Order: sequence, then C-alpha cells, then structure tokens
Amino acid sequence: MARMRNRKKKVFIKSTVKKNQQQPSVDHVTGDKIPKSFVFSRGKLPGSLRQLQNDLRKLMLPHTALKLKEKKRNSLKDFLNVSGPMGVTHFMMLSKTASAPYLRVARTPQGPTLTFKIQEYSLAVDVAHSQLHPRCPPEIFKNAPLIVLSGFGSGEQHLKLTTIMFQNIFPAIDINTVKLSSCQRIVLLNYNKDTKLIDFRHYSIRLQPVGVSRRLRKIVQNHKVPDLRTLKDVSDFVTSAGYGSESEADEEAATVSLTSDLGRVNRAATKSAVKLQEIGPRMTLQLVKIEEGLCSGGVIFNEYGSGDGAKLEVNQESQKTDEVDQETDDENQEMDEEE
Amino acid sequence: MAQPSSVSVVDIINHNNNKFGRSKSGKMMKNKPRNFPRSGDKKGNKIDMRMKKLFRKRARDYNSSDDDDDDDEEHHEDKEQEQEEDDGIHATTPHHKDFESEANSEEDEEMGDDGSEDEDEDEEEDGDNDEVQPGITQFAQGSRAFKMAFMKITNKTVPDDLLGPVLSGHKKLIAEKLAEDEAERKVKGEAKKEKHLVGEKGHVKPANFLDSHEKFLLGVATKGVVKLFNAVNKAQNAQKGLNPSRFKDAKVLGKRRKDAFFTELRKKPSLATDALSKGTKSTGSEGDNGPAWAPLRDSYMLTSSKLKDWDKLPEKNAGDDMGDQMSRDSSSDED
Repeated sequence: MARMRNRKKKVFIKSTVKKNQQQPSVDHVTGDKIPKSFVFSRGKLPGSLRQLQNDLRKLMLPHTALKLKEKKRNSLKDFLNVSGPMGVTHFMMLSKTASAPYLRVARTPQGPTLTFKIQEYSLAVDVAHSQLHPRCPPEIFKNAPLIVLSGFGSGEQHLKLTTIMFQNIFPAIDINTVKLSSCQRIVLLNYNKDTKLIDFRHYSIRLQPVGVSRRLRKIVQNHKVPDLRTLKDVSDFVTSAGYGSESEADEEAATVSLTSDLGRVNRAATKSAVKLQEIGPRMTLQLVKIEEGLCSGGVIFNEYGSGDGAKLEVNQESQKTDEVDQETDDENQEMDEEE
Repeated sequence: MAQPSSVSVVDIINHNNNKFGRSKSGKMMKNKPRNFPRSGDKKGNKIDMRMKKLFRKRARDYNSSDDDDDDDEEHHEDKEQEQEEDDGIHATTPHHKDFESEANSEEDEEMGDDGSEDEDEDEEEDGDNDEVQPGITQFAQGSRAFKMAFMKITNKTVPDDLLGPVLSGHKKLIAEKLAEDEAERKVKGEAKKEKHLVGEKGHVKPANFLDSHEKFLLGVATKGVVKLFNAVNKAQNAQKGLNPSRFKDAKVLGKRRKDAFFTELRKKPSLATDALSKGTKSTGSEGDNGPAWAPLRDSYMLTSSKLKDWDKLPEKNAGDDMGDQMSRDSSSDED
C-alpha cells in the first residue's frame, strides 16, 4: 500500500528540469520574475500532436522543460506539486478529444485556465517543408521570443484576460537594457474579430542592411571567396547590381536604425531591414472557455454558452456558487472535453 | 580436388576410431592428440594403419545391407541418388585440419579412382564399391549427388496455383483460411486508417506560397518588431555614452527613468485609448513598476489600471481567489 502511494506521488522529471531550477528565477538586470512553463499532455496523444507538443516546448525555450517526461499516471496535481519549487508559473496542456485537439493555458497555482480549441495546426516540420530555404539555427532558441498581440483590443473581458495571459508567459522586456541581438524570435497572436479565431504564428527575426546588394552582403557574412570567373574586373563585382533587389517596395516600413552594431553586417550607422521567416508551429485557436481555477472552478467565459452574456453578468454579481454546478453541466454537454 | 577427398576418407576412419574402438579407447585417446599435430610420428602411424584396417572391416560388416543396395543401384538409377545423399551426409562429418595423410599408398589408389570417376559414369559405381567402403563417400561424389538431387527438385514443375503445392484434401480448408485472413486484415487496416485520420484531425500542411492571410500576419509581426526596435533605439540612444556601472551615470540614468515614468503616468488615460484603437503590440509585461518600465508604455497596449490590478494583486496576496479579482475587475469595468 505504501509502495503504491509512493509510486503515485512521484513525478518523473529528468535532470534537464533540475537545470532549469538552477536558472535564475529573477532577471539579473531588471529584477523581474522570469516566467517558466511546462508543456505537457493530458491523456494519450497521436503522433502529430506529440510533435506539436515538442514544437511548443521548443517555442517556449529557454524557460521551459524541453525534455519533461510525463507518465500516464501523472495527474495534474503532480505537475502542480513540482511547479512550486521549480518556479514554474505557466502550464500549457495539450489534450485530444474525438472532435478536435485542445490547448489549455493556465497560470499555475491558482489559475485562471484558458481553453482553446485547436481548429488547425501545422508542425514546425511542415512549415519548414513548405519553405524553399528554411532557417532555424539552434542559437535563436537561447533567448525568449518577443510576443506581439494584435486585434485583442476590442475591450471584451475574455480577450483582455487572454492578452494578459500571453504577455506574462514570456519574460518582460526592458527597452533600456535589452540587447537587440537577443531578440531573434517572435510569437504573434492575431485575433480575428469576425471569425473569433486566434492565429498563432512563430517567426524568426533577421536584420539585413538596406541598400546593399546581395552579393556584398553574402561576402561579408560568409567569409567565402566569391566566384569572379564571369567578371572582367573586380569593380564589376561591386557595381553590378545583379539580382540583389528583394522587393524593396514594402521594406520602407520595415526598416530600423540600430543603436549599436549587430553582427558583422548590421552597422549602427546604416539602416537595417527586418526580415521575418516562419519557423512554426502554426495554430489556429478558438477560445472556448475560461475557468477561474487551474482546470477547475467557475467558468468565467464560455464560447458555446447560449446565454453567454447573461451568464457573465450573473457571474460578475458574484453569485458564482449557485452557477458553478449548472454551468459545469452545460459545459459537459457542450464540449466533449476529457477528464 | 583429390586431396580433400582423401583426407575426408581417412578422417572418417579416424572419426570412427572413437566410435567403435571403445575397448581400447583409453589408449587411443592418449595417442590421438599426439598424433594429429605431428604427422611424422612412427608409432602413431603404425597404430593408425592397423586401426584403419580393423575399422574398415567392421564397417564392412556393419554396412553389409548397404552393399546389397549398392548392387541394386546399378540397375535402378533412381535409387542411386538416395544412396548418394546418404553417403554425402557421412562425408560431411567434421574433419581435423592438421591431419596429414599417412597411408600414402592408399591415397594414391583413391586419387586414381577419382580421376576415373570424373570421366565416365558407368564405371563409377563399380570402382566405388571396390575401393571405397560403403558408408564412406568422397567429397566430390557427395557434392555431385547433392547437385543432382537439387537439380531434380528445382526442375520439377509445380502446378500454377495460388496456394502452391498443397495436399488436395486440405486445399479447400486452406483457401478458406486465407480468404478469412485477407478479410480480417482489410478490416484491421481500415480501422487503423480511421484511427489515424482521427488523430490527424486539424493537422494541415501549409501551402508553399504565402497567401494573403499569411502575408497580413507577417506584416503585423514585422510592424510589431519594428515598433519595438525603434522604441529600443530611442531609449538606448538617449542613454548612450552613459555607463550604468559608473555611479554618477547610474544616478543620471535613474533620474531620467523616473522622470519618464512619471510623465507616462500622467498622460496615461489618453494613451491607453489611443493604443486600443490602434491595435495592439505589447513588448513588456505588467508586473514591474521599476523605473525601467515607463518608456515602454507608448507601445504597451491594453493597459487599464484595473487590468493591471487584476494581475498584480494575486501576486501580492497569494492566497487570494483569482475569480474574485476577475469578477470585481469586470464589474468595475462596466461602470
């Protein structure tokens, strides 16, 4: 009996997480608390979703457990117990029902929990396959991504909550001290008012000097001897434009001037163009419901509730206790969530 | 060709030594190891010769029935293969490498025989029966016999049937079973496919080109990045040349940040609405109220003080209920 209990309590976590523990929990420059996350699954996932889970972990790097091992018998409580000492502040849970996969994003000890239905998703591999020159150097995962939230400003309560949740899932940026070289990835969440869907994208950021031909840029970047066979004079190499113009029309908006040099090619003196390339994963999310607690508690928002607004109001008048039972019943009918 | 065959013959005899000569096996066992490495040993040689004769005789007695078969073989070609196969098995008994031929005379004879065997088949049987004892086959002969048998099998024409050569009695049964298996596999495959489809639900492969929606998203993201970079540029240009590790500069920096913070605080309400209308771009988070925080404001959208409270309070009093905060927050928003 004792052995059984012992087995139940144990969460199997490999040493990578322990390393995570040794990471500073507080930003040494700004003194902010660094949010950390666990990405794991509830229930058994098919292969592609497991891949998506891996992609999400990679996206959440560096403040996440990349190799978090989970077992069937691990309950949410297990993760919660570990999250305290580890300083984990957010959970991302993937689950799967007969109708669709679901993603839940929760703040750890207390909640709230946002449940998203994943309408569509593409893995990082799929995205890379779709590109001619996929670019995904491992160094870009050494720093947390920036996050851009767009279209959430309609003033609705659940959207505000979503915004705050996603802002806090990544470490804050202090623009006085931040190094631009550490901003190499960006996560975009775009809310579409008409369809009520959230587009989740993950891009890598690259800076390129404006007005420099491709040839020159390459020679500075690559240290390689250029092929001069076809040229008569060295000056041809510099002067001939070649096919170096890469749709500079819309680049006007996307140029920045830097305070300091960034890499070999991006000098502070010159202007640089911001180039984004998708690395994936890609998701189309639908906010289904928001719960107060960690996967429990009263429902603050429910997409499928027939009297959605009415319920919210009732909720706001803090008559929650009566509502909870009824609402959970409704919700069980409406959404075939497991557990 | 001849050498290995003769070795095998003698070898078999030697092999038989152990088998049959149990009466004096003790002595033989002692002698054997000495015999093999040193072929020139006279004593060993002598014993071997004697033993060979003895065993040859015994083998003849033992295989007397086979002799009869051999005689028959000459008449019935079919049986010959069986016999030869049988012999072949004998011939493949393991033999020792080190053993060198002692009985030279015998070997010579056999070598001569080998030559004749290869050339004409008719005399082959006779010669065999004369020289080589039954139950003892030369390697060459054995392999040839095996070849013949194998050829016969491979040349056989098999009825062109789905089931292959099967006993006719079970043909129907087997056909039934196969059909059943096929059906079962089909059902299983379909179930698996269905399961896979369910698992893949929602999984889309992106198109190879950027469609308008993706372009729009890319544009939004780019805009966000540019905004942030410009803000960073603005902020960091101002403090350029000031080294935060120097006390004097640090003081200046701190003062400047504090000023910026307070100015931002004062003009906040208008800014917030402005931000909401513009669409959002957030680079920082709510929780920090340090001096570093303020300049971020102009790019930091969706900040109403109430919302900030909502997120900040639970951190301060950890035991507080999140839901309470939420409801209070939203209700105050309604006002």
